[in-house]
Amino acid sequence: MDRVCGWFSPPGITDPGYNLSIFPICLFAKGVVPTDHFGVTEHVDAFTKQICEVIVGKNQAVKLAVACLLARGHLLIEDIPGVGKTTLSQALARSLALAFQRIQFTSDLLPADILGNSIFDQGEQRFVFHSGPLFSQVVLIDEVNRATAKTQSALLEAMEEHHISIDGVTYELPEPFFVIATQNPQHQVGTFPLPESQLDRFLMRIELGVPDRASERAMLLGMDRREMLKELKPVFSIRTLLEIQDNVRKVHASSALLDYLQDLLDASRQRHSTGLSPRAGLALLHASEAWALMNGRDMVLPEDIQAVGIAVMAHRLGHDIEQSGQSGRTLADNLLHSVPVP
Amino acid sequence: MFGSLATWVPCLFLLALAMKFWMEPKGYRLRFATLKLILAAVALAGIFFSYGSLKGVAPGVSLLVVLMSLKILEAHTAREFQVMVMMAWVLCLCGFFLSQDFAIALCLLAAFALLLVALIQFHRGSSPGSFWSPLSATCKLLAQAAPLVVLLFLLFPRINTGFRFEILDARSATSGFPGRLSPGSIASLANSSDIAFRAEFPDSRTRPPGAMYWRGIVMWHCEGMEWRGPYAPTPIPHSSRLGAPGGRALPAQSSNGKAIRQRITLAPHGAHWMFALDRPFEAPPGATLANGNYLWSVPPIRKVRRYQVSSSPEITEKELQPHERQAALKLPASISPAVRDLAQSWTAQNSNPRATVNNALQFFRTNGFRYSLSPGEYKKNDLDEFLFHRRVGFCEHYAASFATLMRVAGIPARVVVGYLGGEYNDLGRFFLVRQADTHAWCEVWLPDSGWTRVDPTSAVAPGRASLDLNSFLERRTASGEMETRRSAFVTELTRSAIFTNVRLAWEAVSYEWDTRLLGFDADVQEALLASAGIANRGSFFLITEILVVAAALLVIYAGWMQLRTRSRSDRVKALYERFCRKAAHLGARRDAWEGPSDFSRRAAQLLPKESERIRQISNTYIALRYSPKSATIILDRFAKEVSAFAAHSRR
Repeated sequence: MDRVCGWFSPPGITDPGYNLSIFPICLFAKGVVPTDHFGVTEHVDAFTKQICEVIVGKNQAVKLAVACLLARGHLLIEDIPGVGKTTLSQALARSLALAFQRIQFTSDLLPADILGNSIFDQGEQRFVFHSGPLFSQVVLIDEVNRATAKTQSALLEAMEEHHISIDGVTYELPEPFFVIATQNPQHQVGTFPLPESQLDRFLMRIELGVPDRASERAMLLGMDRREMLKELKPVFSIRTLLEIQDNVRKVHASSALLDYLQDLLDASRQRHSTGLSPRAGLALLHASEAWALMNGRDMVLPEDIQAVGIAVMAHRLGHDIEQSGQSGRTLADNLLHSVPVP
Repeated sequence: MFGSLATWVPCLFLLALAMKFWMEPKGYRLRFATLKLILAAVALAGIFFSYGSLKGVAPGVSLLVVLMSLKILEAHTAREFQVMVMMAWVLCLCGFFLSQDFAIALCLLAAFALLLVALIQFHRGSSPGSFWSPLSATCKLLAQAAPLVVLLFLLFPRINTGFRFEILDARSATSGFPGRLSPGSIASLANSSDIAFRAEFPDSRTRPPGAMYWRGIVMWHCEGMEWRGPYAPTPIPHSSRLGAPGGRALPAQSSNGKAIRQRITLAPHGAHWMFALDRPFEAPPGATLANGNYLWSVPPIRKVRRYQVSSSPEITEKELQPHERQAALKLPASISPAVRDLAQSWTAQNSNPRATVNNALQFFRTNGFRYSLSPGEYKKNDLDEFLFHRRVGFCEHYAASFATLMRVAGIPARVVVGYLGGEYNDLGRFFLVRQADTHAWCEVWLPDSGWTRVDPTSAVAPGRASLDLNSFLERRTASGEMETRRSAFVTELTRSAIFTNVRLAWEAVSYEWDTRLLGFDADVQEALLASAGIANRGSFFLITEILVVAAALLVIYAGWMQLRTRSRSDRVKALYERFCRKAAHLGARRDAWEGPSDFSRRAAQLLPKESERIRQISNTYIALRYSPKSATIILDRFAKEVSAFAAHSRR
């Protein structure tokens, strides 16, 4: 049957990673009920299209990244260097007219380097807080797994609570606050793997992968990416973005859908020593809501969960790799292909 | 409704409301306890002085209204608002103490509903322009309460007065119907639109033919232009009653069976008279048939009374008792020679009483007598003035003078006062008789035919007998014979067909309200329950039955709710699974983990012929299972679609 339709990868066989989702999302993009319930689909489509022009041939990954942004989540991009991780995050930031900062993590980076520190001001005779590069709306953290655990942990509070505490004072981070982190595959030299708690903070982990031949040709023929980034115009204002983010939470998740979601969580907990956390469940729900909204629906379908499922679940299940010998991706894929839709 | 309250009480209420609108934005309020106490004392004193007492319905309701007005001035908190709404509901109930008209009931229902709207609106918080949502919530609540209302109406135990409260003072229930016929006493009623009684004819579906003379009271005592009835009427002796053995023959059997049965709903008037078509021959329970064949209630009628009575237009008495003849010929001393001469001139021409009667009628017809609502003042002894000079009068003038003239001419005569005509309501099939239809006529004793009705008014105003007074006046006004009593617009309005139909419909509904709803008393209730098989078998059985019924209802309700909430999603799922089985049969098997939208697309590709149906069913399923709002209609449609899918594919 799979052969007949050709949409499904056979369960258990890991795709090399170029095709980010095994589900036919592009076919599904128009939605079952093609009504624009919140009046935002047009904005989101224009936004996605603009980024897709820069990142050629990676529509699926781009859409996931947008969904992550709309669901108020943080994004982790894991891939080998040079496939466009930085370009993607810059395109996202520029298309939204958001303040953008890039931090390159290295093994000697200290928390104060990213959060900021208090410096004694001679003129005023007191300590003045100088905010670090984290005080921005889009923060690109390059090679997040090259920094030590200490610096990585400094991100925890900022990502979860949207504020940071230094010297007993709490500083609010700007809204929206969106962290895009890139990391190199674990097996590369000189990496400190992110702990589970840190990984759980990322709503999604996506992989870009090398483009297919035609896309790569288009890229080679096309303009310089850096030039293109400079010419990007904001598609919509911050206020519109916040509105869309609010609407994401209004997308209806019926009890039948929540049944399915909980079935997934239960299955993960039964099969693996540490299954998906409740936060993962929330992440799955919010990501699916964003996905449904992007497809112009006011309700979440099981297909939405399946579309974002691997991106949301894989990095949370990945630490089981020593036990099962399978990557998080495979585990997530197996889950989606075994838990029946109620 | 407020007619029975002192005028200042409702005025105070309205004033308090207006003041509240003025005070609230400025932050003024009735705050000081001393002031409140003084105001309450003043209110109490005012009520005492208005009614002379604090006891009774009207003072009690007034007290509530006045204290409510003061509460409005004092209230500020949410709690006080709720208390006021509750109190206002109690006031609505109090409205029924004062009147139970259909119109009042409608007004009170509207007030009740508006209070509910206010309460709902209050609890939802004030968002402008959201009047409809509390209104629809109110309608929903009232509709939900309706079955309970019906149930309580049918089953709630009645105190033997019935559903109608009879708390109102008897003093207020008086009619204008005169116990004494003096010049002007009936003309003064001509403008009254109060309802005297309503009558239906259970045996016929149309109005009986002929003039409708409703007999009220027979007056024997003549004082010239003034007549009066006996203070305590003597009942017709049982032996001489119609139909009794040895008495007069029952007309229903003796003649061609023309007894007319009537069911009469009499408005309370505080006196003893009861009415029936000319002439009743049997008395309903609680009444006697008085000498002169009219009904006389033993207790005064202080509440609406329904009774059934039979009349026959063709009662013939064979003989006049000597004492009756004597009473029917008795004359006052003040009869003038001119009157005697007039009467004697008739008897001299022809000694036959019938000819005398005709002569007298001819006299009224030919000598320029006029029929008028405002004939001017006459005194008791103004017979000469009326007969020979002014010659303007209303029915009581003609009846009184004619009867007196007959007595002078030696013919036994008496005056009957009652009602003439009334308006027949085709919708409700009843006669509505108003106080304005009050009429007086004469009866003379003719040896060959007994007491015979003679209406001298008809000699002066032909046509009055076949119409009720209002219609008669309408025609006269229209033909220019009579001065108009109303403005042209009102006359036009009342003559229009729509207005008339609406009025008749309203009266019919109002009659149904009075007879069916208010008349639903303990007896009717028991009869109804007995006919439903719930006879009164003692309290033990009753309690057991109630418990069993209540338990059964509870079980049904719980089961129904269970079914509604639980099975709905199950049914959707079962239907979808059926659809999937059918699709699998056709070659498109759904994987367990496959979402409905994905499957729809894949199945549509696999089964291109069915693609449209598959898409439609999937979309309906998604709408039912995952969308925020799904209606029952869709569920039914879904079931049909799934069935159709099977039927289609098998073909």
